[in-house]
Amino acid sequence: MGLLTNLRDSITRVTDRLFADDEPKRIGIYGPPNAGKTTLANRIARDWTGDAVGPESHIPHETRRARRKENVEIERNGKTVTIDIVDTPGVTTKVDYKEFLDHDMEKDDAVKRSREATEGVAEAMHWLREDVDGVIYVLDSTTDPFTQVNTMLIGIIESQDLPVLIFANKVDLDDADVKRIADAFPQHETVPLSALEGDNMDEVYEKIAEYFG
Amino acid sequence: MPHQCTNCGRTFADGSKEMLSGCPDCGGNKFQFDPTGEAETAPPETEDTATRSASTASPEGTSADDPGVTDDVAEPNTSPPTAPDTEDGAQASARSDVVSPDELAAAAESTEPAADRAEQGETAPSPADTDPSDTDASDSNLDALRQKLNDQFESIRIVSPGQYELNLMELYDREEYIISLREDGRYVIEMPEGWDDR
Repeated sequence: MGLLTNLRDSITRVTDRLFADDEPKRIGIYGPPNAGKTTLANRIARDWTGDAVGPESHIPHETRRARRKENVEIERNGKTVTIDIVDTPGVTTKVDYKEFLDHDMEKDDAVKRSREATEGVAEAMHWLREDVDGVIYVLDSTTDPFTQVNTMLIGIIESQDLPVLIFANKVDLDDADVKRIADAFPQHETVPLSALEGDNMDEVYEKIAEYFG
Repeated sequence: MPHQCTNCGRTFADGSKEMLSGCPDCGGNKFQFDPTGEAETAPPETEDTATRSASTASPEGTSADDPGVTDDVAEPNTSPPTAPDTEDGAQASARSDVVSPDELAAAAESTEPAADRAEQGETAPSPADTDPSDTDASDSNLDALRQKLNDQFESIRIVSPGQYELNLMELYDREEYIISLREDGRYVIEMPEGWDDR
């Protein structure tokens, strides 16, 4: 019986592959700085490929170049979804090197990081226009989601008719407020999770398969 | 008079529409412009017609003035029967004059209250007509200003080294994308593919 089930699963996988679109969907992970985008990208990549995408840090703008992890195969309910994950730099309207000085950084390094972060935002916006088939929008559940950046980006994503999932990250923290995020963007599905702790990742993968499969 | 057909020598008053489809006499379509004739006639004429058209807007009055003005100037090539009625005072002033801010305001006030009343309909009889028109005008001015600022706002503004302000919409909208920023405020951009084909 188990053998038959396995056989059926593998046949389904092959046919799914055959009838799926040729190219894996490119899913951009967007959001403000320090929302946990890279932590999430690493979590997904490690769970399904064994590799990481990039270094994580509590200092904002650690990711200053978009990084891509290709052919991430996610299996859910006997169905396989292959996506390319694009981890993008945090989007913001202001970058100030002084912000980094608090993190024991020399001024020269802080200025350089600031410049690279700005270039990263330009790159992220460019990717959003050109190269993304779907968006995972990551927000820190402990912060106020009603910001200019969030509103503008979600608006752009909607205007592009891209499928989007809102991920309310950092639910492991005491002051996390998922409802506030769900209320801010009621037109989209909000999935609570902790990318760091791996909380609720089953639902995360289910939704990814459902939205981007 | 400032325009002359280079073929047959027929002259035309400033602003004449006659020559738009070629010289009516010989069919020539090259005309020379005589700025001296314009300079002599323009100042009295435009001042006069500008104020007239703004205040009374009577075409008879302006066209009645024109022949007198054109006749005053003695030029060798002048031919008096060149249809003085084709000279349009409004056209002449539009070309040569800049409308004054007072006139603009007057024009705005004369049109906007009517539109306001139509919009407000039964809701309010509008005791002070000037108020809504003023706020509307300032609103549209503000919109225009905002639009202008948006247009001017660079996609990345370097406030000082290490401090940047980003215009996300602008970054999103532009076809080329900024790869790197230089210390001197220059950008390195990637040109979209296919630009060299055009």
